[in-house]
Amino acid sequence: MNCRCNQPVDFAATHAIALARRRGALEVTADDLLGGCLLAVARFGIVDLGSVVVDLDELGLLWRDDPAGSPAGLHRVSYSDQAVALFDQAARIARAALPARSSLPTPPVRIADLMAAVAFDQRGLCGELQMRFGVTSKLWRAGLARQTPLEEDASPVPVDVAVRPPDREYLSPEDAAQTLGVHVQTLRAYIRSGKLPALRLAGERAIRIRREDLAKVLEPLQAET
Amino acid sequence: MPMFVCERELPGVTPEMLQSAGLRAKTCCAEMTAEGQPVRWVRSFFLPEASQTHCYFEGPNREAVEEANKRARIPFLRIAQVVEMIPESV
Repeated sequence: MNCRCNQPVDFAATHAIALARRRGALEVTADDLLGGCLLAVARFGIVDLGSVVVDLDELGLLWRDDPAGSPAGLHRVSYSDQAVALFDQAARIARAALPARSSLPTPPVRIADLMAAVAFDQRGLCGELQMRFGVTSKLWRAGLARQTPLEEDASPVPVDVAVRPPDREYLSPEDAAQTLGVHVQTLRAYIRSGKLPALRLAGERAIRIRREDLAKVLEPLQAET
Repeated sequence: MPMFVCERELPGVTPEMLQSAGLRAKTCCAEMTAEGQPVRWVRSFFLPEASQTHCYFEGPNREAVEEANKRARIPFLRIAQVVEMIPESV
């Protein structure tokens, strides 16, 4: 099972904004959202939904690039009307997973919910998946359903608060961000600005931060006089 | 950092639309923070009877908070700086 489909949709949104930026666009489109979802759930550039296998290389998606490495601050990127409608649809899909008339709060929107919302689009990248690769909406949603089985507990615990970061000397960006209580994008900004030292695993793209270096982004509060 | 309230009137808004707006606010704030403009969505209160929301953001200035909301495509009536008071401080 591709558990990455169960991740909060934030990860896909980060990729989607980076895709829009790379195109030099001012708005995040449906294609960017779908591309962002695929990049967020892919492993080695492959999205395997069982009956549907998507090779990101064939779609021209640069899965080897780190979204945090894309140029930030060059121009503003906002969500298009299309993107807003897809987020609305994804939230409805997330809600629909609950039993009828349930009093449970709406669960967090997952990447799978957004991918299901995009499945109804006949244009752009989704249309290309259908035309070139025969990935119909039905096959797409069936694959997502297999990857995201229903759980008895309809209130999933958000991934970023479910597990305490491990007590390791070297932390991943996600674990370091959780330790500091900031978004992982904030932590990546600290690294880019030089405020927080970071290392790469030799020969790989993965980044590690020394636990003792986390204190460098903190400063004592000045008492009010 | 200063805190701001974003007042909105959202007639006909559904819980799912609110959740969608929250997602967009969260991701746009994270993006602006990565760009060096730290903006954070703190919390929101929805007034169902009036279809209004009050959304609280932390940011360096009003313009940054406005920018985050524009990127997220969430309409607002006005944005004003607020001063927070909690029981422990009085």
